Amino acid sequence: MTLASRIGLRKAGPRNKKNRADQRAERLLGALACVVLALIAGMIIFVFQKAWPSFSHNGFDWFSPWAGGNVDDELNAIFHSSASNPVLTMHAWPLIWATAVITISAVIIATGMALLSAMFIVEFAPTGIRRLLEPVVRLLAAVPSVIYGLIGILVLVPWVDKTFVTDSAKQSVAGVISLNGSSIGVGILVLTVMITPIMIAIVVDALRSVPATWRDGAVALGVNRFRALWTVGVRAARPAIVAAGILATARALGEAIMLSMVTGSVAFAPNPIDGSIFFLEPARPLAATIIDNSEGLSVPPFAQTLYAFAAVLLVSAAFLSFAGWYVRRVLRRYTLSPI
Amino acid sequence: MSTKKLRTVSVMAALALCAIVPASASAAKVISISGSTSVFPLETKLAQAWHKTKKGKKFSFRILQGGSNVGISDVSKGRVSIGASSRDPVPGSDPGGLVFTKIARDAICMITNTANPVGNLTSAQIKGMFVGPTITSWDGIGPIGGTIDPIGRATTSGTHDAFKNIFLGGSNQGAFVAGKASNGLVQQGVKSDPHAIGYVSYAFTSGVHAVQYNGVDCNLRNAKSGAYGGVRSFYFVTQGAPVGPVKKFIGFAVSKKGQKIASTEWVPLH
Repeated sequence: MTLASRIGLRKAGPRNKKNRADQRAERLLGALACVVLALIAGMIIFVFQKAWPSFSHNGFDWFSPWAGGNVDDELNAIFHSSASNPVLTMHAWPLIWATAVITISAVIIATGMALLSAMFIVEFAPTGIRRLLEPVVRLLAAVPSVIYGLIGILVLVPWVDKTFVTDSAKQSVAGVISLNGSSIGVGILVLTVMITPIMIAIVVDALRSVPATWRDGAVALGVNRFRALWTVGVRAARPAIVAAGILATARALGEAIMLSMVTGSVAFAPNPIDGSIFFLEPARPLAATIIDNSEGLSVPPFAQTLYAFAAVLLVSAAFLSFAGWYVRRVLRRYTLSPI
Repeated sequence: MSTKKLRTVSVMAALALCAIVPASASAAKVISISGSTSVFPLETKLAQAWHKTKKGKKFSFRILQGGSNVGISDVSKGRVSIGASSRDPVPGSDPGGLVFTKIARDAICMITNTANPVGNLTSAQIKGMFVGPTITSWDGIGPIGGTIDPIGRATTSGTHDAFKNIFLGGSNQGAFVAGKASNGLVQQGVKSDPHAIGYVSYAFTSGVHAVQYNGVDCNLRNAKSGAYGGVRSFYFVTQGAPVGPVKKFIGFAVSKKGQKIASTEWVPLH
């Protein structure tokens, strides 16, 4: 018996193409991959089929900032409409706006922080600190969002209420919304803390995989370490940084529980013209609206409206991942990135 | 995984499947309930107590939550034997053929922060704060001045429905009111904000100040005596009049023994 046959290796080649174990594994894995694809396709079709009545009834007004109306009044009317005469009017702009403001702000802040922290961990941190930082970052990335929500609602919301909300500010918007700490500001802050660790972890791995010779070359030319890392390392790692951003955005878009707890549960579109109180104004993003109102799923027109919210999130996520793929492809052309 | 192991696993999976089928076939002895999260603690206690009796021993329970409207929809589609509802029947909107059996009542309290122990609120004042709003300041109403922060429940909740019918006389709560997803979140919101006002089920009034409604304290004694106006009903909903074990269980719930259990945290029927 040869060594190869004893450890289970068989000669590759056309004579041995009937290796049954291999064939079985191939079929099994192929079937699993097909199941995943079928699941995703099924999910998209299902959500859109359910959501269609809401979109077709409202047309462009569903998305329009100028459509007017109030989302909570509309939800109420939809929920109490009878099956024979369903109401479907929904102008969801405040929810879309809240989702966009919170997600984009959090991702921008998190990208900056993650980039600088990753540079520190890779290049400047003493070994002891690095050994501590890396596991902590990975732990933070794995903390369930409901825990961040609890900290937000028990600590941050009352603190913001006491520290930043003045009585004159409250009076200026009385009867429209109430400023009590639950706000897009707290939502953005907690969301930033939630998504930064994932980005740090990805960017650290990317910076590490940049060949050391590239940076050494720059340093040898007399550039300091920060500049070498910034101009060579970060540049080469750009596709990975984009990937980290996409992943973080996807998590931020779909975040429901935490945002439902801290953003104030009012379908209000915070107005940047309001100046300093803009970040103190409450709102309610799409995913949080689905969570808060899931009890109404048994009322058909209400369920169709909730599915429409879900469909918007689904399309945004799909669009994001396509845009991410395209940007990475373009960047890779210019950076000769190893990643 | 070797072939042998694979085969063992598949045999075991097949056996497990076989075992599941007869279990669901004997479902006649299982009473299933779904619905209101407010009724859930009460129905669990009732089920436990009934299971200890001679009659109830033979039956087991499968209790799920999901909200009043989920329970009503489930029972109308035959998915469960009893739907639990904390809202009144709505003629015309509810599916046909449903029978609502009242099993207990529950007090809804107006709550404020302990730093703002408001003495009394009339229905007109509450309406002014939650509809419109015509009242936006605590000046002259509460011990501390400042702007009122109203906190409510989402449209779909049974508590929202009861609040609307009892306290607001049928008007919708304004869109400026925060629509929280649970009693606990309203309680927490009021706890952390001195200017807040909210409404919750009586079981959620610890750590906050329960306000008098139309001059009557919100407590179980006043709710039982009928002096307190903010009382809603809990229902067991069935498709047609209850029969068989379901009839026996609902009979137990409204019996003297069942109502004694209800009187621990809720308002009994008699």
